[in-house]
Amino acid sequence: MFRAVLAKEIRNHLLSFRFMAVFVMLMVVIPVTVLILSTDTLRKREEYSRRQAEIQAYLGQYAHFNRLFAVISPSQPPIAMLTLARGLADDANINAFNNDPLPVMFPLIDLVFVATILLSLAALVFSYDAVSGEREDGTLKLALANGVPRSTVLAGKFAGGAIVLFVPFLIALSLGLIYVLLNPRIGWSAVDGGALGLLLAGSAVYTMVFYGLGFLISARHASSASSIMTSLVVWVVLVLVVPNLSPYLAELVNPAPSRIRIGREVDRMTDVERDELGRKLSAERRAAVIRDHPALADVERMSESDIKATIARDPEFAWAYALFRSASEAAWKEANVIQGQKAQVLREELGRKEEAQTRLALNLSLASPLAGFTYLATDLTSTGMLNQRHFTGLARAWARNYSEYVQKKMAEMRQADPTVDLWNTAVDVSDMPRFVYKEAPLADRLRAALVPFLILSGMALVFIALAYVSFVRYDVR
Amino acid sequence: MTGTIVRKEILSNLLSYKFTAVIVLVVVLVATSFFVMARDYKERLADYQLIRPEPGAPIAVLPPNPLSIFARGLEEAMTRSFEVGAVGIDVRAGQSSGNVIFSFFPTPDFVHIIKVVLSLVALLLGFDAVSREKEAGTLKLALSNAVSRSSLLLGKWTGNFLSLAVPFLLVTGLGLSVMAFDPALRMSPGALGRLGLILAAALIYIALFLSLGLLVSSLVRRSATSLVVLLLLWSVIVFVLPNMGSLLARQIVDVPSVRSLSEKRQQIWTREVLLSYGDRSGWGARIQAMNEEFDRMEEDYRLKFNRLVRTSRSINRISPAASFVDAATEIAGTGVSEETRLKSEVIRYKNQALPSLARDRTAREAPAFSYRARPLGEVLSDGGLFDLAWLSVFTILLFAAGTVAFIRTDPR
Repeated sequence: MFRAVLAKEIRNHLLSFRFMAVFVMLMVVIPVTVLILSTDTLRKREEYSRRQAEIQAYLGQYAHFNRLFAVISPSQPPIAMLTLARGLADDANINAFNNDPLPVMFPLIDLVFVATILLSLAALVFSYDAVSGEREDGTLKLALANGVPRSTVLAGKFAGGAIVLFVPFLIALSLGLIYVLLNPRIGWSAVDGGALGLLLAGSAVYTMVFYGLGFLISARHASSASSIMTSLVVWVVLVLVVPNLSPYLAELVNPAPSRIRIGREVDRMTDVERDELGRKLSAERRAAVIRDHPALADVERMSESDIKATIARDPEFAWAYALFRSASEAAWKEANVIQGQKAQVLREELGRKEEAQTRLALNLSLASPLAGFTYLATDLTSTGMLNQRHFTGLARAWARNYSEYVQKKMAEMRQADPTVDLWNTAVDVSDMPRFVYKEAPLADRLRAALVPFLILSGMALVFIALAYVSFVRYDVR
Repeated sequence: MTGTIVRKEILSNLLSYKFTAVIVLVVVLVATSFFVMARDYKERLADYQLIRPEPGAPIAVLPPNPLSIFARGLEEAMTRSFEVGAVGIDVRAGQSSGNVIFSFFPTPDFVHIIKVVLSLVALLLGFDAVSREKEAGTLKLALSNAVSRSSLLLGKWTGNFLSLAVPFLLVTGLGLSVMAFDPALRMSPGALGRLGLILAAALIYIALFLSLGLLVSSLVRRSATSLVVLLLLWSVIVFVLPNMGSLLARQIVDVPSVRSLSEKRQQIWTREVLLSYGDRSGWGARIQAMNEEFDRMEEDYRLKFNRLVRTSRSINRISPAASFVDAATEIAGTGVSEETRLKSEVIRYKNQALPSLARDRTAREAPAFSYRARPLGEVLSDGGLFDLAWLSVFTILLFAAGTVAFIRTDPR
């Protein structure tokens, strides 16, 4: 019986206008998106290698350790996955004078966007009348008048709709993928294929969440006209409101001071306050030394040349004066350490608060399937938060290697010529450690994507269960 | 006669579930957005008091724009602090937050809500205006009386437009008057005028989607079909076209990346440091030469980039949503042209402040940076009016097409 319901459901959908419309749209939007993104990735690759070549040419001629680090600072090469997903790509470059305003105004399109917005909308369009529409047509009571249990009807409808919805997406995507695979310059690898497979599993679950939701809403309404309204309102809330308000809500609950305020505070602590403390401490220490060494009695009032003359004349004064100087230096050093620690505490506290806020925002946003799927997709394609951490880790490791290399190189230079200016002499850096970017291993990405995946699956199950309960209680007349 | 139809449309809307659902959505969203963005504005204002440059410091910072509460646009980029140094302009990202979730999901502003949600609501009001009456059989009854088809359609259009526009304007007015109680948020008459213009653009934008809804509704037989068509059209107009357009423009116009520019700058600067080492005499001249090289690079980049922006905007204009966002942000003074203009002003300021800095790095005798947003007339003549006219023409064309389709429709 289940198969009969399933077959009927699939046939029904295939012949429907909405299937045609969604299919045509996906067939146009997805391949075009992949095509444009592939061209964009290739262009970025070319530019990246041109930039690297320029850095090489520079290093061959003008390398010197002063400010060399600024020239070779690590940058992320464009990966093959950028043909499908853009994630947190820093296109806006807000830290550079020539920032790019266009992506801020109109976020650039990618597959994740197509899946999150278009697929979820299509899922609701497919499911809003699954129950209420059949009731209106009168076919639901006919079907149930036969010996078909409600659970079978529900399962058949659900499976049929989900298949019919997901298959066009797959077909359209494989059309785009053919282009990516046939283009050897993109360098699509098996690992990328695996990540894409996992991403597809995630988008299947994401689609199911919305299909289940549409089904649930349909089974709570008598007329399909009102069920589509509720569906769309819920869609707007889940897709456009919950994710976008969650970071703000987190800010309200877990406020963090503004970075500008903390920056100013730190500046003040390590500058004005440090000077005050240093002056105070060093005056105290100097006074103590003067008390212990009567020879120094007049030192505060003596001029520079007098001190020099006295030092030359009086060995006891010279010895005491050395103590006096070092006491003052130690006091300043102490002031630096104290204020530095205070500033460090402030910075760490800011970091902690920001971290707590981010975590809360992340958890709040997971109430929306869109946010969960976005995290899952960006982490799997190494374009998300995981990749940011991964890249920072790689860059740090490289920076350590680099500074070791600089130490070693400088020691060699000093050995060859003790008077050499270590910072401003041209050096041969052809043996310098190079920054190499490798994507995070697939296992790590999978681990990062697991939590959102489980949450999405849970949501899908809950919606289906609720849909079942509502459907069992549904008045089919 | 039209008056009767308008009244009937409004009444039937008021009684319907659909209307309740969508109006609650609009009211809640607009109110939330006002609250969130106004609070954000006040925080940015407090930060601005901290980074405000002392007199004589070669730093250019703009205060936050009160209209960014409604149309954020490029506000974040425009309120960064630009510090003039010996080798160009140092940028400190102003208001950046450590919360990375913001970069996934930015807070929705008023313009965003109009662009996405209000357009959807307008479609939902219009999608079954004709096809539902056809299905219910009331259309033929109405037409069997002495009422012309065009006045019937006009009545439907006006009734639905009023039932959306009035609640929308009410909640906006309410939000604005609540804000007016807060002295930190008080706006100048000029800013209020600009806000009025943005509201007018929003009404045209709503009218456009309502006309689109009526057109599709008269073209197809069943309201379910009409809804599917409209939802797909909506997602293409609001999301796909504008987002794809700027990506497409990037493939047409080749612009070097921002990163390559800053890398090249670093290379030139460190090269000069090495070459000038041990010969401090020519340092001033070298800085001069370096700055000229930077300026050349800059100019070349800006030329290409402006071409990219123009191409992207021309492509995006296919979508009324992009036109609306462009017009609204430009009117608010947070748009792309305004930001470009600010940057060229900052460059000019740098050239003004540089001579004294080249003499003495710690000199504190730079002139103060002053920037005035373009007057409204200039904004309108520089594309704003075109966008508004384009939206209106679109609306009129859609309405005309809707009338034709309705006249040809079979009411049975």
